[in-house]
Amino acid sequence: MKPLIEFAHVDFAYGERTILKDLDATVYENQCIAVVGPNGAGKTTLLRLAAGTLTPARGEVYLKSRDLRFLKQRKIAKSVAFVPQNVEVPFSFTVEQFVEQGRTPFLTMFSGPSTVDYEAMRRAMELTDTWSLRSRVFNQLSGGERQRVKIALGLAQQPQLLLLDEPMQHLDIGRQFEMIDLIQLLLHQGIAIVASMHDLALIEGTFSSVWLVSPGEPMQQGTPEEIMRPEILEIAFNCLPHHRPRLLERMRDRMEHAS
Amino acid sequence: MVKELTEACPSTPHGWARQQRHPWLLAMLSASVVLAVLLAAGMGAVRVPIWSLAHQLIGGGSLSTDQRIILFTIRLPRIVASLLVGSALSVSGLLFQGLFRNPLADPYVIGSSGGAVLGASIGVFLLPPISVAGFGTTAMLAFTGALCSITLVYWLARVDGRTPVVALLLAGFAVSTMLSYSSYFLEVLDRDFGTGMRILASWLHGTIVQPTWPQLAIVTAMLVIGLAGSVPLARNLNTLALGEEYATHLGLSVQQTRVAVIVVGSILTAAAVALGGLISFVGLIVPHMLRMVLGPDHVRLLPATALAGALFLLIADTVARTAIAPAELPVGVLTALIGGPFFLYLLRKTKQGVMS
Repeated sequence: MKPLIEFAHVDFAYGERTILKDLDATVYENQCIAVVGPNGAGKTTLLRLAAGTLTPARGEVYLKSRDLRFLKQRKIAKSVAFVPQNVEVPFSFTVEQFVEQGRTPFLTMFSGPSTVDYEAMRRAMELTDTWSLRSRVFNQLSGGERQRVKIALGLAQQPQLLLLDEPMQHLDIGRQFEMIDLIQLLLHQGIAIVASMHDLALIEGTFSSVWLVSPGEPMQQGTPEEIMRPEILEIAFNCLPHHRPRLLERMRDRMEHAS
Repeated sequence: MVKELTEACPSTPHGWARQQRHPWLLAMLSASVVLAVLLAAGMGAVRVPIWSLAHQLIGGGSLSTDQRIILFTIRLPRIVASLLVGSALSVSGLLFQGLFRNPLADPYVIGSSGGAVLGASIGVFLLPPISVAGFGTTAMLAFTGALCSITLVYWLARVDGRTPVVALLLAGFAVSTMLSYSSYFLEVLDRDFGTGMRILASWLHGTIVQPTWPQLAIVTAMLVIGLAGSVPLARNLNTLALGEEYATHLGLSVQQTRVAVIVVGSILTAAAVALGGLISFVGLIVPHMLRMVLGPDHVRLLPATALAGALFLLIADTVARTAIAPAELPVGVLTALIGGPFFLYLLRKTKQGVMS
């Protein structure tokens, strides 16, 4: 297995707030990784570092053994596709026009998309089952359709690695299972996947490894069986069953102070 | 459900919607522009029949000397001016809408025209605009003014990489009011109450004053530069519509695109203001109407916007100069009367979140 993305001693902070500290991890070809952790722990940050849109404060991120810092974003975008959680499009682009943007790294300033580009778009839309939606307006799609179209844009980049930021969010259970199917299908196509996941119940059976990020702690990685254990998750998510939840505690404190 | 699709790709009932371009629309617009020019040239105090006009233009000579003088020194320059102004305003509106990711941006609304007027006014008070050098200076200063004001509004209106409608409108309103009234301030400084003041007044009303051919040549050059500059930007604006972070990830140099749009948009605004002053809402109405027909793809919209803008302002200016003859209405008054309600309608639609 060849490494696609390697994090080497990566630190990242937003201003004073340290998000990731001394992160060492590798994404190999054909791997399917779930990034889990409490809100604000740095799941999205980790994906952005891998996509090259954020640069680490210390340490390096390598794409196929080359330092991301010295690669052009266009070049990175041909290997790594980042699918954001929310997209706001101010105009009524059709699905087709939306997916076409995935070809941006392949187009030069004056050339329009060619047959090759249309072929890539079409394949991306067929894999995600969005070909029939191509003349619909993106903003008028349902949550599940929108999610699939966003992934189609990512696939139009013909990447080896797909970074999915909360792909299950706002999906009903039926759409969640469709998404799991789609992820398995993409793995089958030889695309590695790193997805930040909120819903831990959806991880087992699909994802080959789990990265657990929690604030102020080194990242833990392992197979789902190793990580998805109550004693580990309870600490990471700070919800020990025999402890009173912190929120209640703080509220009671505040009320006592007020009275 | 998804899995079945991998093996056998379904045969497509229709091809790409993308390939259904609209060549007929561009052809129709071009034909309408030609027809409108002929009709507009015939209209006015001295009527010139359309057939003798067409005959004259293809090389025959069936017009009287009077008719020819009226045509070539008065009507045609004015017609060409309105075509240039309409085209420049509409395309700069389209560019700014893409930049701000907001269909309500218009060179007038966001204060770019106001900046250009202030710049141009300074030019008028420095050098007489009748001379070529004078007009060139005026146009350059209009460009500088537009560039400064749009940069200021952009900087003021952006919140976390987005431009909320309210912030954009308020910043644009404040800056453009400030700038337009600064132009009035210049009036006071004018000691000889001369041409400068009259030109300034007509700019603030949005009148296309009678231009000379050299002036038109300068503005044509600006329009050509502006349009040529817009062509490579159109695709970038489509990508930018997905938001800055997404566009950056896809390899678009967002900062470079932004600067380019601001510069090209300011050249176009300056071109329009140098001839017509503050003409409002044209950059809003024309791109919006076309978006309803062609969709939001900037690559497709650009040529159509340039043509439709020219057509729109030619019609508006012809109505403005003939409707209450012998008096003349500033065309800016007319576009404000049509554009104002249109703007409010768009604002209301935006509020409901149904944007087109």
